[in-house]
Amino acid sequence: MSRIIIGMSGGVDSAVAASILVDIGYDVEAIFMKNWEDESEYCTAEQDYKDALQVCDSLNIPLHSVNFTKEYWNRVFKYFLEEYKNGRTPNPDILCNTEIKFKEFLNYAIDLGADKIATGHYVQISDNCDNIKLLKGLDHTKDQSYFLYGLNQHQISSTLFPIGNQIKSNIRKKAKKLGFKNFDKKDSVGICFIGERNIKDFLKQYLPANPGIIVTNDGTNVGQHDGLMYYTIGQRKGLGIGGGHSNLSGAWYVIEKNLENNKLVVAQGHNNPALYHKNIQASGIHWISGNPPKTDKLNVKIRYRGNDVPCTIKELSQKKIAIELEELCFGISPGQSAVFYDGEICLGGAIIDSYHN
Amino acid sequence: MYYFDHSATTPILPEVIELMNTINKNIYGNPSSIYSSGRKSRSIIEKAREQIAKSISSKPEQIIFTSGGTESNNQVLWSIIKNNKKHIVANEIEHPAVTQVLQSLKQFGIEHQLVKVKKNGIVSVDEIYEAIKPETSLISLMLANNELGTIQPLKEVVEFANKHNIMVHTDAVQCLGKMEVDVISLGIDFLSLSAHKFYGPKGVGILYAKNPKKISSLIIGGGQENNLRAGTENISTIAGMGLAAKISTTSLNEKIKSLYSFEQQFKKGLNRFFDNAIYNGHQSKKLPGIINVSFPNFQSDKVMVQLDRKNIAISNGSACGSGNIEPSKVLSAIGLNEKINLSTLRFSFGKSNDKQQIDYLLSSLESILVKS
Repeated sequence: MSRIIIGMSGGVDSAVAASILVDIGYDVEAIFMKNWEDESEYCTAEQDYKDALQVCDSLNIPLHSVNFTKEYWNRVFKYFLEEYKNGRTPNPDILCNTEIKFKEFLNYAIDLGADKIATGHYVQISDNCDNIKLLKGLDHTKDQSYFLYGLNQHQISSTLFPIGNQIKSNIRKKAKKLGFKNFDKKDSVGICFIGERNIKDFLKQYLPANPGIIVTNDGTNVGQHDGLMYYTIGQRKGLGIGGGHSNLSGAWYVIEKNLENNKLVVAQGHNNPALYHKNIQASGIHWISGNPPKTDKLNVKIRYRGNDVPCTIKELSQKKIAIELEELCFGISPGQSAVFYDGEICLGGAIIDSYHN
Repeated sequence: MYYFDHSATTPILPEVIELMNTINKNIYGNPSSIYSSGRKSRSIIEKAREQIAKSISSKPEQIIFTSGGTESNNQVLWSIIKNNKKHIVANEIEHPAVTQVLQSLKQFGIEHQLVKVKKNGIVSVDEIYEAIKPETSLISLMLANNELGTIQPLKEVVEFANKHNIMVHTDAVQCLGKMEVDVISLGIDFLSLSAHKFYGPKGVGILYAKNPKKISSLIIGGGQENNLRAGTENISTIAGMGLAAKISTTSLNEKIKSLYSFEQQFKKGLNRFFDNAIYNGHQSKKLPGIINVSFPNFQSDKVMVQLDRKNIAISNGSACGSGNIEPSKVLSAIGLNEKINLSTLRFSFGKSNDKQQIDYLLSSLESILVKS
């Protein structure tokens, strides 16, 4: 039987994924990846490793470890900081998949004699034609295809996603039945290396903050910001300004980050038209099949867990594209990815650069 | 399992297990109690103390039972807080059970200096001399390094230290059963040992103190061990350690010869199919049976995974809590670059090995190193 090496995080998803592979009869080994060097209270690596070990012990499969902290720092974290410096809101987990999990880890596993790797992602694969397709996970509430749009044919064809056709609640039930201690472990949320901590406190350690003023669309000064990098388009909380400034009542939202003048532009009310846009420009377009889709009638997600919004796209030059949404969308953030779907099929995506009406 | 990691820990000798089982089954009196079962426990502990003392040529009253090498090191170093002279000299390839303690002691006003080690993994005596200050009260120098096996010039350092009224501690956990450990001829003030490194149980060790008045207790409580280590004694592990020390130091020369022959067999065999192995550390001033070798162009973690599949246990670098391999600080200290550092494996042979096992190790290595 072929040898499968699974990336084991210590979480419940990869644990159950491993058990499924064992049941099928594969020769399964697990690797625990360390991508981040952190001895603070926020780093759960040691506990995660112990959890992974408990799972592997009960499945009677070996657990190895590998350290990609350097590669992660150079290829993911530097980009993450650079994007924040440029006032954008990056999604490092997407890059972590293309650069670390499905490049470094994949190569490492193949080097160790693996026929394929496996991960605990909620996505599915369909290879009933010459082209292998990446599909959303069966459990749409957990679907992780958004994070995997950067994969290519080689990467997908080298990978098994054993839990892509499962429902999360069943995964937990299975884990409990198998005696995995992590069966009720909290799902990881947000960016892995930041964990539970405040992103503001985290960024402060790496980037100098440049405070400035908060203005409204018409230029009225309404407060102070702590540094543009700390804010995201569409953000409401943590602006430090109360409501009631103009006739329009309601909370304040970030609508623009003006890097040139170091000004944070805000508008009031969730229905404020300044928060909604129809057109997006994005760059770095990647198609999982290797080619643009035949149809230009697609759906797009502009954030993880966002809705599928019908759109048309136009390829511009240099891997840039123009996206026209069929409806106005709230809080489009440069730096986040726009990921395209044809029904359940994840086609690819690009990184949002700008938006307009 | 094919076990070649005796520097990490050793399997417990069958006769030691038997002794501990017998004690655990039959003897549970508190050694501080004066009725007969308490006295029985006490005499078992004192017998072990004599066995340990004999194995390092000390007097029984100079032996303090602890939970292991780490605690013994801690006890000596933390005692310096009460000393008027608050400076300690150590070196950069000491075990973290010394260097990390020194880091922690800074906040209590204890300064230290870690002197450099030469490329051959042996500390430079001159550098130690230079690091000495009028406030220096202690030099801590391991007898042999845990990763390289290199034996440090302890005698020379002690002679020098004596002239300057400086105490010397040595972490000797790697050494018992692999070289002569004689506290009199070494002239040392303090020495740490850990039972699980010489085929005894884990969680027990000793601190030898030439003059126990010069140290203070780290664990405060019921006054056991002459007020130097509180807590009810773990009778069976102490007894197990005593017996293990006795067995490990009996016919020492035979044991050394056997370790040395494993080492030669390994080196010769490796040389047959792999000709650019780099042996790290001084190759004669070292403990027998510990081989630290770099395999250029191979990643040690990958080689280890492949050996693990063949049920072979060896070690590389120092694994942290999440099982990860970091470049070894010891290897960096002797000048290995990171790439070579991460191409390095440590083989440490011992009692559980024989010639056939080393042949198996060699053929396994050959299948990994030669095919690619």
